[in-house]
Amino acid sequence: MLQRFLGDKMLLKNVYRTLKKQYVQLLLLGVIITLSSFIYTSMDYGIGGIYAPTEEYFEETNQEEFAIQMLDMILEDDAVFITTNCPAVIELPFSISGLKEIDSTCYYNLLENRLDLILNEYDNITIELRESKDVYFNFQGKSNRVRFLKDSSEINLSFFVAGSKPTTSDEVAITEAFALSNGLSILDTLRLDGKDYTISGFVLFPDYSLAMFSDTFIFDNETQTMGLLIDSEFESLNEKNQFEIAGVFRDGYTDKDFDKDVIDDFRHNDNLPFVSNILLTINNLRSGAIYAEIEGGRDTAMGLSIVIASIALLIVGIMVSKVLQSQRGAIGILKSMGYTNFEITVPYIFFIAILSFPAIILGYFLGVLGADPMKTLYLTIYLLPSQDVFQTVNTFAVAVVGPFIFLIVVSFIIIRRILNQKPVVLLNPPITSSSNYLTKKMHRFLAKLKITSKLQHLLLYRNMVKFFVFLIGMFYAAFLILLSFSMIGVMDRMLYDYYDNTNHNYIGYCDYLDPCETTGSQEKVIELPSAVLGDEDIYLVGLNPNSDLHQLIDKRGNNITDDLEEGLVITTSLSLISGLKVGNELLLEVGEESKIVEIIGVTEEYSGSKAYINIEELSLLLTDTSTYSNTVYSSTELSKDDYLVVVSTQSILEQAEKMQSMFNIMIYVMIFASIIIGGIIVYILTVMTIEDNFYNISLFKVMGYNNKEIDKMIIGGYLIYGIGVFLITIPVAYGMFYLMTYYMAQFYGILMPLKIELWHGGFSLIIFVVLFYLGAYVAKRKLTKISLQEAMKMYQI
Amino acid sequence: MSIKLENVTKTYFTGEVETHAVKNVDLEIKDGEFIVLLGPSGSGKSTMLNIISGLDNPTSGKISIDEAVISDMNSKQLTKFRRDNLGFIFQQYNLLQTLSVKENVEVGREVSLLPFTVEEVLEQVGLSTQADKYPFQLSGGEQQRVSIARAVVKNPKIMFCDEPTGALDEEMAKEILGILQKLNEKYKTSVVLITHNPSIGAMADRIIKLNSGEVVEIIVNKNKLNASEISWG
Repeated sequence: MLQRFLGDKMLLKNVYRTLKKQYVQLLLLGVIITLSSFIYTSMDYGIGGIYAPTEEYFEETNQEEFAIQMLDMILEDDAVFITTNCPAVIELPFSISGLKEIDSTCYYNLLENRLDLILNEYDNITIELRESKDVYFNFQGKSNRVRFLKDSSEINLSFFVAGSKPTTSDEVAITEAFALSNGLSILDTLRLDGKDYTISGFVLFPDYSLAMFSDTFIFDNETQTMGLLIDSEFESLNEKNQFEIAGVFRDGYTDKDFDKDVIDDFRHNDNLPFVSNILLTINNLRSGAIYAEIEGGRDTAMGLSIVIASIALLIVGIMVSKVLQSQRGAIGILKSMGYTNFEITVPYIFFIAILSFPAIILGYFLGVLGADPMKTLYLTIYLLPSQDVFQTVNTFAVAVVGPFIFLIVVSFIIIRRILNQKPVVLLNPPITSSSNYLTKKMHRFLAKLKITSKLQHLLLYRNMVKFFVFLIGMFYAAFLILLSFSMIGVMDRMLYDYYDNTNHNYIGYCDYLDPCETTGSQEKVIELPSAVLGDEDIYLVGLNPNSDLHQLIDKRGNNITDDLEEGLVITTSLSLISGLKVGNELLLEVGEESKIVEIIGVTEEYSGSKAYINIEELSLLLTDTSTYSNTVYSSTELSKDDYLVVVSTQSILEQAEKMQSMFNIMIYVMIFASIIIGGIIVYILTVMTIEDNFYNISLFKVMGYNNKEIDKMIIGGYLIYGIGVFLITIPVAYGMFYLMTYYMAQFYGILMPLKIELWHGGFSLIIFVVLFYLGAYVAKRKLTKISLQEAMKMYQI
Repeated sequence: MSIKLENVTKTYFTGEVETHAVKNVDLEIKDGEFIVLLGPSGSGKSTMLNIISGLDNPTSGKISIDEAVISDMNSKQLTKFRRDNLGFIFQQYNLLQTLSVKENVEVGREVSLLPFTVEEVLEQVGLSTQADKYPFQLSGGEQQRVSIARAVVKNPKIMFCDEPTGALDEEMAKEILGILQKLNEKYKTSVVLITHNPSIGAMADRIIKLNSGEVVEIIVNKNKLNASEISWG
């Protein structure tokens, strides 16, 4: 018994000494395992800290399940309603918002009437008017925007994470994210629109999970906030009144039913000409997409973690197999002495366990520590409640117990496969077959290569698992690098380039009752947020074909503004989202008016589903004259006194820059992570390959091959296949980005212009090659140290 | 090519223990000569071969091959020298398992200035019909023939053979030695063969006996036998 114990102890020592020689590889393998566990744990707990309270929050505040957008225009039926019910309105205004300024009661009655018309058409829903006003204000030297929502009574109720609702006209509630970013606290004073307000609390609204106020991709909580005032104060704001309808389902009605009964119907429903768009909350990026985002975040974490863990697992498998092969003689002797397979297995499993468990558990605890910053990062973007991060058995099981058991089981299987051989077989060197499936298949393709070039490939094929790990690892790294680069300039393409190309610095939205007046440095424009082109809900802009302040530029850089004389110019984003092309003839519907228009050009803009039309043509469609306008573009500053809202394009550019810098952080993190993972994989595999070819290398040296030639033969293949994988990754990544863009566009109507440019490919390739040389550097040093006498020793290749 | 060793010593240091693997050896091997270095295990045969062939450096002394003083060469120069002039055969065949017979021979040919053709060499070692086979499909003797072909295809001026028949039975060993003898005669290649089997000395021009790192005897063999005529000890 003691003998056996000592035998085990000796074997334990032997395994320890064998593994000790590979401490660098083991350490780096530990880094990969830790990384895998860390990613999953931090993301799962970080998101978990938001997910649970969010569920409760949406429930408690009765989050909308759909939103209905309406035309801000007086249509024929509306005119009849006003004439019949609103004697105080002498002259019909152009817009519903304008009506509110003349006769607020009439405005509410009219909208109540619209809500009734909707309820007459569709059952099983409850709807409520949702009003808002945007106020631009300067604070701490920068331009900010607050979207005030009028407090609702049934759907999308306000939710307070701290403090309380405003109760007086000089109190305001804002988002905690904005307050934290700007150093504001409850009871601090905030000056809005020339008036001082005391912050009474921090508010959230369930229909604004993102502070995203348009279909551009800006959701910056540092310069944008939601706001709540008491109703009378809201009404007294002089800003443009915006409205839509929020709705929820009743009696077990579902998204699917709604999609079929309402969304498929409303465009063709003659009783609802005022409805411009209906959007399910799950398809609404600013509200319901958070579900997909949270689930997606967890799935992505799980996916990333599994890929990294799989790579680690395969490398562990190869290493275990290598160690056992190097010990097969010793194992053969132990077996012949009467040791059981189990007794021989125990030391190996013991070391695998004590080496892998700390790595997994370290990743887990780092993940627990990282969860809170991860949650905070989420909350810098999302307007959601949160709770303290706490550990759960489930996450621990998935992050630690599962992978650990899996690793041990896989190692056990590999060990037992070798141990199941008879002692006499183990006491002899392994008989290596000359060729596996891949070698056989590829040999014929390599026939014409020089023998040294052929060896570069064939030596890699010898171990298919190792080769597969390399390919997967390199694909993973290359994809992350390319994805990172594709994100460069996303915001530039979406917003910055657009505003940078235009010559207007200010946009003024005219008062409903006063006509737009312009001077020399200004141009009249019509902006209609809701029009329908074919089946697409679009943002229509009436523009002068001779416009200097807003030129339309196509992708070749040509000015196509004067094409507006002949038809419609659409944005690239509209073209990509809807598939519309030059030459398409479509019905353009603006309220109850419509006309057939031809798409004559595509302007290189990625900001929403927008179309441009000749301003005179649009004016005639909307009114009896060709001179109507509701917006002014100006190169010089506009006075806030003359307009409902004045927007500075400079502040939009600043927001776009801020968003891009957020993307840039992600880009740097992703590139860094790719290089670390890729570099470790290259290092471990090249070192393994050099160890596998220890005697070959010595033999080549004896034959007179120099180090450079040997290096090329032994690990040069990795570079060739690495570059091959990289080149394959480009079209794959391109396809994936296209799908991602398409998915975002189709599901959320937002175009995320990820783009791979030639220099991205070139630069990524440089990073990739640097990554390879960094990874292989130490391996090459090992190669030069192999002595020439090794070729004379007993071995079998 | 002739090889000249002048007062060559190789000492290994293990902790405080000094081991003289080769001691003050003076020796000359003439161009085209077939030399057998004979001695028991630990006599310094392999160390001597390593030093003569430039695989290892002597601790002191001078080694020249023709005009080239290889004991003064750096690693790069030695690599070039081996590449252009030397061939090696070991007890282990050291064949690349992923390559066919023909391809294994090509590995040797690739680094040579004036190589023979692969076909010619395979013909000489009697493996013409096995050219497309893989090492694992060959017997031990056949594998050793491939390693000889790989060394010979370089058209080396000197061949160093470290116990080339050590892993073979008598019949196969004689075949291999016959091939070496034939190549020595046909191409005038100098052969330095180390063995612990005294019988093999019968086919050499000279037998150099080593013991404890010293040359104890040099026998000039005036009655060279063919490899097939050797009586195996």
